[in-house]
Amino acid sequence: MNRRTLLGAAFAFALLGQSFAHGQRQTERYIPIGQSPGVSGKATRVGTIEDVDAGARTFSLATDEGRFEIAVPPGTRIWLDRSRGRQSAQSGDFGDLKIGRRAEVRFAQPARKGPAGWIKVEVAE
Amino acid sequence: MRLIPCAILGALVSCAPVPPDPKQALIERGRELFFNETFAGNGRTCGTCHREEANFALDPAFIAALPPDDPLFVAEFVPALRENFENPRLMREFALILENLDGFDDLPSRFVMRGVPHTLALRTSVASPQGPRAGWSGDGAPGDRSLRSFAVGAVIQHFTQRLDRVAGVDFRLPTDAELDALEAFQLSLGRGQDPVLPLALKGAVARRGQEIFLDDALGKCNRCHANAGANAGFGNLGNANFDTGVENLPDQPARLGGERVPRDDGLGTPGDGTFNTPPLAEAADSGPFFHNNAVETLEGAVAFYDGAAFNSSPAGRAVGGIALDATQIVAVAAFLRVLNALENIRSGRENLESALRLGYFERQRGDALLRRALIDTGDAIEVLAGGGLHPRAVLRLESARGAADAARGSFFGRRRQLERATAALDAARAQMIESPR
Repeated sequence: MNRRTLLGAAFAFALLGQSFAHGQRQTERYIPIGQSPGVSGKATRVGTIEDVDAGARTFSLATDEGRFEIAVPPGTRIWLDRSRGRQSAQSGDFGDLKIGRRAEVRFAQPARKGPAGWIKVEVAE
Repeated sequence: MRLIPCAILGALVSCAPVPPDPKQALIERGRELFFNETFAGNGRTCGTCHREEANFALDPAFIAALPPDDPLFVAEFVPALRENFENPRLMREFALILENLDGFDDLPSRFVMRGVPHTLALRTSVASPQGPRAGWSGDGAPGDRSLRSFAVGAVIQHFTQRLDRVAGVDFRLPTDAELDALEAFQLSLGRGQDPVLPLALKGAVARRGQEIFLDDALGKCNRCHANAGANAGFGNLGNANFDTGVENLPDQPARLGGERVPRDDGLGTPGDGTFNTPPLAEAADSGPFFHNNAVETLEGAVAFYDGAAFNSSPAGRAVGGIALDATQIVAVAAFLRVLNALENIRSGRENLESALRLGYFERQRGDALLRRALIDTGDAIEVLAGGGLHPRAVLRLESARGAADAARGSFFGRRRQLERATAALDAARAQMIESPR
């Protein structure tokens, strides 16, 4: 590695820091479950919440492809999809993950498994 | 005797419209959506902010000429959007658009004010190893972050009828087919590749500006804007984000009038202070500059890199600072003006040639192409004349504009006028650059 390459690498590191993940997540909350372009069905799973373990911050999601145990790290965005009731989406929290509710989970990893990146929960009211 | 009717018939048949190929049809569908589809929202379209007449961007002078009921101004006449949707004063004075990039939970406090980036040369300017970077902070698209998905976020942010933003009530989301078409249209705009520098420029000032631009010890511009594009010239970073300290500029115009303008923290939530690198070949005719329209002129934008805000920023420190004197700043700007004019000429010529290929019955399509060629030619005149550059090229460009305008109104002499316009564009180009096209 010559000096120029080293300088370039150092420059890149100094400028970029750790900002590798990028994507406008804020408007995501207003996209109803299963309709996110390029993501729904590819990087997410949609199903029904079957079990919730609040202590472990995990829940299980029953989908057409099977049942998945999903960890919800602190800070994971949880949105309440109220579009079926023609209501505005809202921010939610772990307590909104209730058995029987339909949910869409985007995973933090590309293989559609592991901890959640964001969660949309369908709320009737 | 029978030869004459046959010749006329033959000519008409040969001039019949040729069905567009599927890719072109998709682009045309995307154009239609971009400029006319409101997605059942407040009346805005993509073209409300990305104006073709303003290089798919927006500036205060253009805004000043719009009628009061233009959908851009919905916050002024739709009661549900009067609060926390736009800041009409900042929009009219500085062409700033309100964005809730850090969330919608606290609309009165959590927003940023941003300019409208043009959508030209997107084929060259959004790819990075970390995925596409769209919008001013490189994270403008929801979903898979792609340019294709960008329209979904834009509809939610800018097209809504109410701040409740309920899909199916306040707007409808674009379909997959519509997203495909919109993406195809946007990717069709402008250059498909970056210039290869250095160019054999004829003007001494622009030529010196190019040298400074490329000099890694002086201008250092090419490090982040390789070949005057949007990609970094080192480390295979592609289109990258940098913290250049624009937010630290003193006396920012939008803040001088007492309006609340929160600090923009750039990429992510919370932001890391970085913003996305825009391409420079289109810069001269697409100001104001930077994500917050902080600087009105191209020369001012170049001078930014000579100032304290940049030189004390992470990017400024990483490059070891930049120090340019006034003549050098003007020279770099002259280079960018000439580069922009050359791109205008390329684009204008492409539209004229497309118009020349059209048949007799495709006059409407031809008029649209001529309109675009006129916009490009007018822009080239403005960017050159604005810098006092290449007055003889400006004369040729004015001839080209006259001929293209005459072609629009000409019935039988259309082809001749189009050929005149094309030749005049070539002559203008020859004033500025040595190399063949």
